[in-house]
Parts: sequence; C-alpha cells; structure tokens
Amino acid sequence: MGITREKNSSHSSTSPCSHLRAAYHNCFNSKGFAEQNLGYRWYSEKFVKGHWEKEECISEWQKYRACLSEHLDDKHLSRFLEAETVVDAAIKDDSGSPVDGAATGVPE
Amino acid sequence: MVKAYSQEYVYKHPWERVTSASWRKFADPENKRTLSHILEVDTLNRKLDSQSGKLYTTRAITIHAPGPWFVRKIIGQDICHCVESTVVDAQLRSMQLNTRNISLQKFVEVVEKIQYVPHPDNPDGWTVCRQETSIQIKPLSALASMAEKIEQRCAEKFLQNSAKGREVMERICKYLEAESGGISL
Repeated sequence: MGITREKNSSHSSTSPCSHLRAAYHNCFNSKGFAEQNLGYRWYSEKFVKGHWEKEECISEWQKYRACLSEHLDDKHLSRFLEAETVVDAAIKDDSGSPVDGAATGVPE
Repeated sequence: MVKAYSQEYVYKHPWERVTSASWRKFADPENKRTLSHILEVDTLNRKLDSQSGKLYTTRAITIHAPGPWFVRKIIGQDICHCVESTVVDAQLRSMQLNTRNISLQKFVEVVEKIQYVPHPDNPDGWTVCRQETSIQIKPLSALASMAEKIEQRCAEKFLQNSAKGREVMERICKYLEAESGGISL
C-alpha cells in the first residue's frame, strides 16, 4: 500500500494546462489575494456575499478549458467538458432528486 | 453487498469560510503532501445561475488507489478517475458535492456525498459537514467472491483519507480566519 513519490509527479495528461489551471484558481479563489494582493477571489469576495449576478474569471476559464479539451485524453472525462447540462444531470441522476431543496430540507 | 457509512463533523468556522476552504483543498499546492492520494484535479465544467445564485461545477479527480496485490492483478491499474459534481447555493448557504467513480465501473461503484450547511445552533459561526459514502463491488465482477473484504478495506482507506481531508480543511480555515482578522501567519 506504499505510495511512491514518482507516481505523484508523473503521468498526468493535463499537466500542460497546469499554469492555466493556476491562473483560473487565482481568479476564482486565490490564496495570495489578501497576503500579497495577488489574484482575486470571486468565490469568497463576490459569490458568497450575494453578488452572484455577474460571472467573472471568464477569460481564465475559457483558456483553461480550451487547453483541457486539447489534452484530456480520457474519453469518459472529456464528455463532461462539452455538455452544458451534464453538471445538473450528474447530480440529479445520482441522488434521485434535485439537490437544491433536498440539501437543507427547504423546498423551493 | 454494499458498504455504506456516514460521518458528521462540525467546523467552528462560518459557512462562507468552510466552503472557500473546500475549493482550496485540492487547489493549493501545499496540501499535495498530505493528500498524496489525489493525483490530479481539473475543472471540466462550470455554470453560474445568476438568477438564483447557484454555482454548478464538475471536476475530474484522479486518485491513486492501490489495493492489495491480488486486487491489482485483476484490475490491472491503481489509478481511478472520479467525477465530482458540486452545487453551491449562495442564497440558501448550502454546498453539496457528489463524487462517483467513472473508471473501473465494472468492478466497483463508489459514491460519496458531502454537504456543508450552517450549523443550526450557530448558523453564522459554525458549519456542519455531512458525508455519506457507499462502496459496492459489482456482483458479477471478478472481484465478487471477495467483495465483502474489499469493501471493508476500501471503507477503511476512505476513512483515513477523509481524516486527512478534514485536517487540511481545518488548516485552511485557520489560515483564512487569521487573514480576515489581519493577523499574518
């Protein structure tokens, strides 16, 4: 059951996208935001504070996603890149009911 | 033949901080050593419902899951791809993550559901994490005869890993707390 270090550093098909992934994370919910004034935290500064009307980090996301569609070689995974509705479908299909209301017991 | 269990854990941090930490758990490079079973995490899709304040995200999670040698011999690999679907409802303050394996499906089906909601006794200060996991060896697979044993081992491994996950979450929450108070760590 030993975990070898080589396993962790190698193998990934999406590693060419790692800098674009980092750029996206940096905008979505950056670690360095408060500390060094680097990046941005759309999730914690806007979204959870009620300012969800405007989607941000769009260009970072598009670049990252474009890279993934080029490098993601697993066909099971790549189908999730395309479909618009997969996100909901994966969840609903799983729990048998929409998550939103069920999560808190509050009906919509 | 399903091994299922649930866990509940209370973070003494507000929901906003805990869910922010949840996004950072796999993204921050310094957690890689603790969460060494997580090889790769990529966001495959995201959608914001700007009317209702819901954020839908799909991620691919590649896990290093080495089983005992006799299992490895049958399956022939020790890497497993999972898909995680997340819905964050900012209005209701709820985050729900559902993860299931998409590789090795003919052998095993693992479903994990995690939910973060404000704690009823202290909704602005604490957060409850409820986690449900089910592991099922497919009845007609080559592993069926040892299903119970493998499910048990799987469950033990999952419990160990979720303890590591909590440790990382607590660390990030603490960091975020210090940061919001202007104290540098």
